[in-house]
Amino acid sequence: METPAIAAEYELPASRSLRRRGPRPEVHWGRLVLIGVALAFLAAFVLLPLLVVFAQAFSKGVGVYLAAVSEPTAWSAIKLTLAVAAIAVPMNLLFGVVSAWAITKFQFRGKSTIITLIDLPFAVSPVIAGLTYILLFGARGWFGPYLQAHDIHVVFAVPGIVLATIFVTFPFVARELIPVMQAQGKHDEETALSLGAGGWQVFWHVTLPNIRWGLLYGVLLCNARAMGEFGAVSVVSGHIRGLTNTMPLHVEILYNEYNYAAAFAVASLLAFLALLTLAGKSFLEWRQPELKHGTRRARANLEK
Amino acid sequence: MSITLRGVTKQFGEFAAVDNVNLDIPTGALLALLGPSGCGKTTLLRIIAGLETPESGQVLFDGRDATLWPIRDRKVGFVFQNYALFRHMTVFENIAFGLKVKARRERPSGAAIRQKVQSLLDLVQLDWAGDRYPAQLSGGQKQRVALARALAVDPEVLLLDEPFGALDAQVRHELRRWLRRLHTELHFTSIFVTHDQQEAIEVADTIVVLNRGRIEQSGIPGDVYDSPRSAYVHRFLGQVNELRVEWREGRAYLGPVDISSDPALQSPGAGLVALIRPHEIDVVGEAKGWRATVRDVRVIGPIVRLELCADGRPANEPLEAEISRERFDIDRFHIGQNVGVRFRRWQLYPADAALVSGAAA
Repeated sequence: METPAIAAEYELPASRSLRRRGPRPEVHWGRLVLIGVALAFLAAFVLLPLLVVFAQAFSKGVGVYLAAVSEPTAWSAIKLTLAVAAIAVPMNLLFGVVSAWAITKFQFRGKSTIITLIDLPFAVSPVIAGLTYILLFGARGWFGPYLQAHDIHVVFAVPGIVLATIFVTFPFVARELIPVMQAQGKHDEETALSLGAGGWQVFWHVTLPNIRWGLLYGVLLCNARAMGEFGAVSVVSGHIRGLTNTMPLHVEILYNEYNYAAAFAVASLLAFLALLTLAGKSFLEWRQPELKHGTRRARANLEK
Repeated sequence: MSITLRGVTKQFGEFAAVDNVNLDIPTGALLALLGPSGCGKTTLLRIIAGLETPESGQVLFDGRDATLWPIRDRKVGFVFQNYALFRHMTVFENIAFGLKVKARRERPSGAAIRQKVQSLLDLVQLDWAGDRYPAQLSGGQKQRVALARALAVDPEVLLLDEPFGALDAQVRHELRRWLRRLHTELHFTSIFVTHDQQEAIEVADTIVVLNRGRIEQSGIPGDVYDSPRSAYVHRFLGQVNELRVEWREGRAYLGPVDISSDPALQSPGAGLVALIRPHEIDVVGEAKGWRATVRDVRVIGPIVRLELCADGRPANEPLEAEISRERFDIDRFHIGQNVGVRFRRWQLYPADAALVSGAAA
């Protein structure tokens, strides 16, 4: 009878003090709160507007939606947007690769100036970018008289839109590539040269495979921005329906005409294109770590 | 292929990385460019490879001026310290690269390429690794792939930048022996860069010690080790004890040891320093030589290193002596024991020059 009582008396305080002194089990409140706040913000400021766009777009039924999207001026805006992206993105791809290559593989004067200049479009408001093109190519601009004399239309025409888009999007590829190429150094290229490869062979077989993921990522971001650019394009386009309206501009016009369903229908299409780009990016990110070191192929080889 | 450097100079801004270097490297040489980091050894190697262009001077290949030849025309194999294997290619594709990028009329057939790569894989003992990616190999294996890739295009010169720098001691030792054997078998001209004097002495036929972009001394490893021409070389090629020469009544002393009979002593009173290697110090019975106390004993395999506190010498500048294990097994020195120190050999250098390393010569 006595022994259990004694045991209880001695054990209890001991276990209590142990519980007090030992490390407390970690409470995950901090983590939960942070995740919760982040999710709430995303839901309120990103997801909700996106849902609203799609909800509004279909608010008057699928018929109205399809009509708004297939209406001739909308269709021409879609084509123009895709065409502008199709010109601007390859140009910036080329520019980005060339400048990143020059900056990371060679030593020359004015390098830091170039790096700063590449960032300029990020720093300058797109509206200002558009205005500079008006000042350069507009009727009263520097090159205005010359262009008029030769009947070349830049401002309030497609070339102006393309130029403005290129300006606004040109940092994306270069910015993405420079750190990647800097980290990789130039030993791979020098080795390839010592093995007898020519400049193009070095680029295709050595440099490009090393930077391909960074390059694709930069191109995707560049593309997303090229299709979505509003400010700079708005200034130089002249808003001529069916001619110089891109999708973002078309959305604005419809909206200003209180044609909400049509505005949101075109907007939803634009949003869909953006989502497609993001999906492409996530897909690449998901595959990148594996493919980077060729482990997937290697694993397949091992399993043979 | 023989290589001659004539007055080669390379500046990086104000800094002369390579400063008026003249060097003759005969065909079939196995030469080490040796020096601490920043001495210009890698820049010199890159100039020979054609990866850098010198501001002045000439690089001659077999007597022909190759200073401005592009790297792809030089027939040099270059191996980087970090191996620079192409990560997205298998080991096989890496080694085949130099053959596949050849112009169509020079390019071997697919079967010939396969055969060549296979024989190179056998040569570097990696015949099982053709399908692997570089990320799946160890450092030593990557190094051998890099060598095989360089050898695939039949270079006449093999240039290696710190080839064993990133490997652990065991692998390094093995690779050194392997490289020596390879060199003897294939008989090309090899130049490698290292900061490790032991590596240079162990592998090379000729070592070139560089200091601040200049050649301090070159020659057969044993000769350079035994008769360094400057305090800088003496210090760089191994451990040294430094003792200032003291003049008392017209006679020269190292501690209490009278060295006045040394013919290298010129004018009395000159500021001189003596460099003595640990194995040039004899540890004898207490009654003889310079009195000293044993402060530490380290048995390192076949040799035993003693730290000795000599009378009259500051406690933070102990003498380091190395004796053979056999001697140690007889004499059994222990910490705290009083012994006598004798110098079997020493070399004198001007004191100032010795302190400002490299200003000698």
